[in-house]
Amino acid sequence: MNSRKGLWMALPAIALFLTGCYDEPKATFFEPGEYQGRPDPLVSLEASAQQQQKLQERLKTVQMDR
Amino acid sequence: MARMKFLCDAERCIECNACVVACKNENDVPWGVNRRRVITLRDGEPGEKSISVACMHCTDAPCAAVCPVDCFYTTADGIVLWSKDLCIGCGYCFYACPFGAPQFPQEQAFGVRGKMDKCTFCAGGPLPDNSDEEYAEYGSNRIAEGKLPLCAEMCATKALLGGDGDVIADIYRKRILKRGGSSQSWGWETAYPAG
Amino acid sequence: MKLRRKQAQAERAVDPGSGFEVTGQTLDRRTFLRRSGLALGGAALSGALPLTLVHKVRAAGESAPRQGIETETRRSVCTHCSVGCGVIAEIQNGVWVGQEPDFESPINLGAHCAKGASVREHGSGDRRLKYPMELVDGKWKRISWDAAIESIGNKLLEIREKSGPDSLFFCGSSKASNEGSYLQRKFAAFWGSNNVDHQARICHSTTVAGVANTWGYGAMTNSYNDMHNCKSMLVCGSNAAEAHPVAMQHILRGKENGAKIIVVDPRFTRTAAHAHQYIRLRPGSDTAFIWGLLWHIFENGWEDKEYIRQRVYGMDEVRGEVKKWDPKTTEDVTGVPEKDMFQCAKTLAENRPGTIVWCMGHTQHHTGNNNTRADCILQLALGNVGLSGGGANIFRGHDNVQGATDVGPNCHTLPGYYGLAEGAWQHWARVWDVDYDWLRNRFDMSQQYDDGSGKLAYTMNIEGMPVSRWIDGILEDKANLSQKDNYHAIMFQGHAVNSQTRGVEMKQALESDRLELVVISDPYPTHLAVMSERKNGTFLLPTCTQFETYGSVTASNRSLQWREQIIEPLFESKPDHEILYLLAKKLGFADQMFKHIEVHDNQPSIEDVLREINRGTWTIGYTGQSPERLKEHAKYRSTFNTTTLRAEGGPLDGEYYGLPWPCWGTPDIKHPGTPILYDPSKPVAEGGLVFRARFGVERDGVSLLAEDSYSVGSEIKDGYPEFTADMLKQLGWWDDLVDQEKTAAEGRNWKTDLSGGIQRVAIKHGCAPFGNAKARCVVWQFPDPVPVHREPLYTPRYDLVEKYPTYEDRKSFWRLPTLYASVQATDYSKNFPLVFISGRLTEYEGGGAETRSNIWLAELQQHMFVEINPADANDRGIRDGDWVWLDGPGRDTQYPGPTRGGRIKVMAMVTPRVGRGVVWTPFHFGGWFEGQDLESRYPPETAPIVRGEACNTATTYGYDSVTQMQETKATLCQVQRA
Repeated sequence: MNSRKGLWMALPAIALFLTGCYDEPKATFFEPGEYQGRPDPLVSLEASAQQQQKLQERLKTVQMDR
Repeated sequence: MARMKFLCDAERCIECNACVVACKNENDVPWGVNRRRVITLRDGEPGEKSISVACMHCTDAPCAAVCPVDCFYTTADGIVLWSKDLCIGCGYCFYACPFGAPQFPQEQAFGVRGKMDKCTFCAGGPLPDNSDEEYAEYGSNRIAEGKLPLCAEMCATKALLGGDGDVIADIYRKRILKRGGSSQSWGWETAYPAG
Repeated sequence: MKLRRKQAQAERAVDPGSGFEVTGQTLDRRTFLRRSGLALGGAALSGALPLTLVHKVRAAGESAPRQGIETETRRSVCTHCSVGCGVIAEIQNGVWVGQEPDFESPINLGAHCAKGASVREHGSGDRRLKYPMELVDGKWKRISWDAAIESIGNKLLEIREKSGPDSLFFCGSSKASNEGSYLQRKFAAFWGSNNVDHQARICHSTTVAGVANTWGYGAMTNSYNDMHNCKSMLVCGSNAAEAHPVAMQHILRGKENGAKIIVVDPRFTRTAAHAHQYIRLRPGSDTAFIWGLLWHIFENGWEDKEYIRQRVYGMDEVRGEVKKWDPKTTEDVTGVPEKDMFQCAKTLAENRPGTIVWCMGHTQHHTGNNNTRADCILQLALGNVGLSGGGANIFRGHDNVQGATDVGPNCHTLPGYYGLAEGAWQHWARVWDVDYDWLRNRFDMSQQYDDGSGKLAYTMNIEGMPVSRWIDGILEDKANLSQKDNYHAIMFQGHAVNSQTRGVEMKQALESDRLELVVISDPYPTHLAVMSERKNGTFLLPTCTQFETYGSVTASNRSLQWREQIIEPLFESKPDHEILYLLAKKLGFADQMFKHIEVHDNQPSIEDVLREINRGTWTIGYTGQSPERLKEHAKYRSTFNTTTLRAEGGPLDGEYYGLPWPCWGTPDIKHPGTPILYDPSKPVAEGGLVFRARFGVERDGVSLLAEDSYSVGSEIKDGYPEFTADMLKQLGWWDDLVDQEKTAAEGRNWKTDLSGGIQRVAIKHGCAPFGNAKARCVVWQFPDPVPVHREPLYTPRYDLVEKYPTYEDRKSFWRLPTLYASVQATDYSKNFPLVFISGRLTEYEGGGAETRSNIWLAELQQHMFVEINPADANDRGIRDGDWVWLDGPGRDTQYPGPTRGGRIKVMAMVTPRVGRGVVWTPFHFGGWFEGQDLESRYPPETAPIVRGEACNTATTYGYDSVTQMQETKATLCQVQRA
């Protein structure tokens, strides 16, 4: 019974000890940064639904087996 | 929003290199730089398969992630482009790329690595669309003209497809169904004979 | 394919200008890391400075598209192979700045192979011949066109005076347009000689002879597009994935529609990689293989008996021969086990309609005509000829080899396969509007010679010496030639020489004193300009590519396509027809030759030439494809269905794309073309057809005409002979002709009636003008009436020679002594145990001077190489990438004396692609000779970027028993480390 009681008493201590093992992650996360170069007019063109439609038509016309 | 993708149907690829040459032609790519290459596995043996590889225009592009000068950008439909003005030729994007897409022309003396060059999805670069300057630095900008990469448009067997990923998936799915769902690899039917 | 193992090794790139070896090729990660150290070290690259790269790299400015400048679009057809892919060119200020996919073309749907994708480079052509040159004391001197024509003309006239017109060998080209190649034939005719030929001789001559003699015409019966409908495809000795890449688009679509593909080849080719069954075959055992298949087919009763009864003559004699080819015998000779043969036969029998495809693997043998006929007989037995999805789909080679064969420079016939008999000359004399006697006197009429069958004839009526044998025209003792004298002059307009065999003897011929004049009319200098040590008497004439001119071209499926001119001739080059006109003027017959062809500024009118072809080529129906109709087809090409090639709606509704011949009658009857030959399911007026009645009406009491088989709508419900004026009268159809037609047709037949009335009326009544007959399995005029197997002259199985020997030697065959038995009398296989075969790469074409000078293509294939099996390599201590010598056996005959074997120095590619005992090389390389790089012999800045040994330096003697085709697909060699 003593060992049991001892264990139960030691548990919080162990838990307290283990908190010391916690570390802030040391790995440095690199996120892709903001693009630093000149703007590309294509970017806004590609965002338009009309352009996407045009490219879809082109894909179907040229690359499909007909 | 569509995502621009390449798909090379290995059942149709015959290693004819039309895609390689079409890219060279359209973008005036110099000797020694191969934006697109055809890789053949099991060359000369049953099970030989070829596939055409260039930049995959990754959604989460590792090249963009590692670039120390942040010269990459991605269009809304997923085309990964970059600025040669900013590029310092460090080669990190080449290390990061699982496909070996970034190429470095050895234009200077002593083989010093030049600016990174890679497949642009025939979308040029950060210069006015279809301008002479854009052509000289990055090659053709077919996308701005409403056309798709010439490699895919000229593929001999329509193995290489390039364009809206959803439409391509549709085309490929139809082919799979037509083929009966099984791999057409040589020997498949020996291993798994019908009936 | 690159010279690399599975785990990609780095290629050592060749710098295009300096000849130095420069690293920096396709960077994969491994090689990049290895080299990045070197790059940083810098000095390690000494001697291989990439500085020169900076200068040689094509400046983007040269032919770059520019913003703000008007861009014009022109359409042509690729100049490289017979598929006939449409090419769209973008031009700014006359400079070719871009290419676009011709997705409207029903033939390629926008697709290209590497070569088609590279044609824009023709627009800058740094390696092109730029101006006329003459070789003087071993140095190339620039001269003017006038001086060139003067010198060449004078020399030719001198030779003509001394030795007669037959002393010139004028080699024309399969790469000339229909009009260009037709003028080449006409030029030879007006010069007074039949010594004219082109690439078809060494490509599909055995096909044309064998197939035409089986069922009437010797061309591809269906089309690439029609292969969507095949249930099975037997592909023998054809590597479409590398030789006809865009055809694979159609083949693979057929496969996706369920077709079973069987590839039969000594190599596991890229095509085999897509097949359901691959059969490895011993080179030279093709007829045995086909008979082995038929053995199973007859054994199991799988043949189409009703089809045979109605449309085939002589199958029983074939059965007799096939009986000998039981599985055991077949396996011994071909190397193919019984179960594989049976599976193949079963697949073909159970999956009909099926097609057969063959190329050089079947044609380039001294028994080529046997092979091609056996292929036809197989299809006839299966009932596969004359329907969609079936047929004999023969893939022709060069872009216009079909057209050049049809109407161009052939030594054995005038345009349209009319032959060389008096009747043929009279027909063409009428079409050309020249006096027959005048034409006759252009020829050597001094005496008659052995015509090969023991009778005597004038050279006007004897086939000329073919391009496979031109060297013998120089080397042979003139007493043995069926003409007055040897060749003293050769002119090659658009034909390479490294594609012909016996390179060592070729060099001797070129260096012979007998050869006083060599003229090369080509966009590039070619191997011919450098392979010998000639010091004088050689001229280079810069000739345009097909993109710098326009005209019609005939694809393999018999469709004619119109090419627009893309750019003006580069540098000082001139198109074929202008050069021919200038020469004809100098030689004194231009007025006659161009009588009805308008010439403006030395340029003959291409449209007028085509119209002349239309007026004369009734035999194969080249009469309906007028320039106007062809231009319309190009304009509205998007309206044609891509499987049937039929226009659905639009202004050309009901016509077939390119009006595939036969397109009967005059252009105004608007025949739609014949997409599938011998297909009786449609009326002749709508493109249907039956087998041609060419061989007589009956033989040995058996009718040669069709029985109970006729095309839809035919008023004669049975077989019938070919149409003549008399036959029309007998049938009571004569009065259907209008008066002008009656005048022209009186006393003539469907081939010689220049009004086209006989054809028109026959078709009106649902009949084919050329008759309705059975196809024949027995060609009684050939050396082997029923095809048989004969061992190649150089065989590794000498034990089989006794049972399957070759022919007896011939004293006079195509004007030349031709050896067979005396060559086979020696067993070369002890010292030369490897079978040596050759073939194509995707990136290069033909002799390769043009494609190896294209920077984009050259980068992809930088070395000549030999494929060798790992076992054979290990036996010789050869590793992948080693330099090796490949030695040919030469010839050990008493007459005309022994010749030494040639040897070539190449890199070894160790691969299981070739079987044990077989080695393979590409044939496109040139610019080396027996280990020596001949770069210094090229005129400045014209050496191709990539040079290498011509495989034919080491190849041997052997010629087909009907057509003089060379035996390149079965010879011997030895390989050893260099």
